[in-house]
Order: sequence, then structure tokens, then C-alpha cells
Amino acid sequence: MLFIFLLILFFSDFEKFLKLPEVPPEYKYGNVILNKFSQEKNIKSVIFPHWIHRKKYTCSVCHFELEIEMKGNANPINCITNKEGNFCGACHNGEISFKIEEKTCDKCHTGDIEWGKEKFYEFKKSIKSKENKYINWSELIEKGIINPKSTLKLDPEKIMKYDKTLQLEAEFFNIPTAIFSHKTHTKWHNCNNCHPDVFNIKKKTTHFYMEDILKGKYCGACHSKVAFPINFCRNCHTGIKRK
Amino acid sequence: MKNKCLFFLTFLVFLPILFQTGVKKKRPSSYDYGKVIINNFSEKLQIPPVTFNHWSHRANFTCRLCHIDIGFAMKGNETKITAKDNIEGKYCGSCHNGKYYFKDKKVFEACSKEKFEERCKNCHNLEKNGKNKENFIKFAENMPKDSFGNEIDWEKAEIEGKLKLIDRIENLNMPKKPEFKKPVDFKLNPKVEGLPNIIFSHTKHTDWMGCEGCHPEIFLGVKKGLTKYSMADIFQGKYCGFCHGSVAFPLVNCQKCHIEKVE
Repeated sequence: MLFIFLLILFFSDFEKFLKLPEVPPEYKYGNVILNKFSQEKNIKSVIFPHWIHRKKYTCSVCHFELEIEMKGNANPINCITNKEGNFCGACHNGEISFKIEEKTCDKCHTGDIEWGKEKFYEFKKSIKSKENKYINWSELIEKGIINPKSTLKLDPEKIMKYDKTLQLEAEFFNIPTAIFSHKTHTKWHNCNNCHPDVFNIKKKTTHFYMEDILKGKYCGACHSKVAFPINFCRNCHTGIKRK
Repeated sequence: MKNKCLFFLTFLVFLPILFQTGVKKKRPSSYDYGKVIINNFSEKLQIPPVTFNHWSHRANFTCRLCHIDIGFAMKGNETKITAKDNIEGKYCGSCHNGKYYFKDKKVFEACSKEKFEERCKNCHNLEKNGKNKENFIKFAENMPKDSFGNEIDWEKAEIEGKLKLIDRIENLNMPKKPEFKKPVDFKLNPKVEGLPNIIFSHTKHTDWMGCEGCHPEIFLGVKKGLTKYSMADIFQGKYCGFCHGSVAFPLVNCQKCHIEKVE
């Protein structure tokens, strides 16, 4: 009985077995609808494109220093907070990027999830990324094509660095171990984007089950939302052979 | 049956812990950092709970004064302060007694036998983002900036003389403090290889905490290496995490302790 079960596992398609979410077209990927107050006030909702921002700034600038939550609509972002210099207003103040004023409302309050499609493909062309493949953002930093700023508040020299690679054993039989590189992640993140909230730092830690990750826990906090989709199994489980 | 009950109880105890892992937690705003809501008895007596803001107190007094001399616990709601205590001149009533003068201004009396709506509201107040935010922004304007927590570099403010901390008040009749030589700074090696070393500075800590703030309760001995602790303990609010993460600069500011460069 066990043998048959293992056989089924062996030949079954894991991607279907796990019910992975559909991968959206790349220009839409990471676009967040911000609609906490807009709809009430009959204003078009804000479509926030991650890709435009991650070209110039790392994740930790907004999600750590500016204290924007990792979930859409979790912060009470509104005109007042922005004008006080919080959240979006920290950069969109006329100095770093365009100022938030009556003239510029439409720039963010587009209400169109498809927004920026052409711009995105223009950008993709400019970095010479393959058309049918998702952009490998970490590779862009490595190659020096983009150079996102990692901090607005801290001394970049002093930011803690750590680059150990971890081997995470897979839960399923026949699935190769996942390779986790601190080096790749610290390019985008400060330590505390992940520790200790998302991953505690105990040595005998819990297993990060794929099921939980698919629910948006652990790796799923970013992957499948902004960082590359979970469906790209081989990015982590590097040993999986192509069919 | 007993076993089942036990299992259910343990499940209940661990339930909140289970839900906490794997997701990001929300951080308080700069003006709310160090806010403690004290509600041992208030709500039962149909009075709003007390909102205590650390920032307005640490701007003028050392940690040691309240947490050692006056005897406040380091955890919210652990001291079980009552109005009677305050009237007798304990806890809040040590300064908030209607007699103590601070900067030539009489400090308001904390609790009294009669109920004065207006005065009670000074502390028994859950008002969010109200006066506290306004006062904080006004106060923080002239202070040296830091990232995270209160977004104020308290230590620098003290060195620059922008804060003049009061460490003793006379009416407590505390024994005279012996003169201690300040112990030297020392290095702590992290357990995980590849992380920058920690430089611990006694000088920075003793101004606020004295010796008795940490020894022997939080850090057992005075001999280096006697107390063994890990970052996981600290994140749970033990050792350094007693203050850092709740009132002193938060633990998210890794590079403030892990200073020394890896070679």
C-alpha cells in the first residue's frame, strides 16, 4: 500500500498536487490595489506597481524603514499621512519623486489593474531580459544593471551583513533540498524583515511546509506576491530535473 | 477524560503562539512606542484604563529611578498599582503627590479620595493620537534623530545635554549610592558564525540603569559568560529584550549592537 502511494507520488505532478496558484502576466505581478479609503470617497483606487519601485529601492526601504506593512491595505495611508511625510509621502514630496498634490492625483489613483503594461515591457526591453521569462531581479543587481538604494535612514556601511547558505530538507520524498541563500536575500532585505516575525531564529525550528507557504506564511510572505512565484520550483529546489 | 482536558488546555495555551509564526507583526508608531496600558482594576471600576507613555517620563528621569527606587515592575500590569498606593505616596504617587516640584511647576496629584473628573483624565485616558501625538512631535523636533522606536537618539540627546536626567528624588529616602567605577566595554561573540561582533557598553547603560537595573536579576553574575543567552531568548523579551524592543531602541535595529565588522 505504502509502495503504491510512493509510486503515485513519484510520478505525479507536484505542481498540480500542491494546487499552486496561477501565475499572472508579468506586468500585473506585484500590482497592489490600495482601496482603504478611496472607494468610500468615490475616488479611483490606487494601483501600486512594485516593479517600478523595486528598480530604485530595495524592499527594506519601504517595508522596514517606512514601516509599510507586508499586506495590502494594512496601513492607514491617506492624503494627510502622505503630506506629513509618512508612507508614500516620504519620497513623493517633490524632492525625491513627484509631489502629492491635486495635479498628481491621477498618477496613482488610476483604478486600472492593467496600468503600466507598456511601460513595463519598455523597461523589460531596456534591461535585455528574455521576453518569455520572468525578470530575475536578483541577477539584475548582481550584474549591476540596477542598483537599488538600500536605506534612507541608516548608514549603508553599517548595515549588518550575513551570507550563509542554508540547505532546507524537503518534506516530500523525491524532492531535492531547497537552497536558501542569505546573500541573495540581504541584497533586498534587512535582517528584521524576516527575523524574528516571519522566521524565528531557533536552531530546531519548525518545518516550513509548502502548505503554509502557499497560505502566505514563511517564504510565502513575499514569494507569489512580489518576489518570484512559488510555481518556479527550481529556483529553490535547485535539484529538480527538467522533463 | 483527564488526559483529554489536559490536551485541550495545552492546546489553548499554545494556540496564540501557533498563530504568531510565519507572518509579519505590526510595529507601533514613534509616538506610541513605549506606551503601556495599565488596566488591572480600572475597567472593573468603570474608569478608563491608564495610558502611560514612557517617552514623556524618560525625557526627564532615569529608568533606574522608577524601576528600582520606586519599584515599578518591568512588565506592564505586573505592579498592580491601586489608587490607594498612589494616595499613600507609592508608585506614581512618589512624584505625583501634589507636593513635588519639577522645573518650578507643581506636579499634579495622581489619585485622591474624591473623584475629580478633570484630573483623573490626565492618566485614565485611552485617547488615541490625541494630545500625546501632538506633544511628542513637538518634543521630538529638537532631539537628535534615530531610526525606529521613538525615532529619537536618547543616548545622544543625553550626551549633548539636551536631556538632564534626574536620578534621585529626596522624598524616597533612599540610601546613598556608593561610588562605583564604571566597568569597561566588552565584546560579545555571536553564536552564529559570520555575524558581526557585539560591543556592549556599560557606560551607555549605567547612566539610565545604574548597576541594579540589570544585576543580578536580569544578568546573573558580574562575571562575563556566566549568563548564557541567545537571540531567540532576547526576542522573547528576556535579557537585553527586557528593555530593547519595548522602551529602549527596538531589536529591529540590528546594526546598533552588532557593530564590529567581520573579517
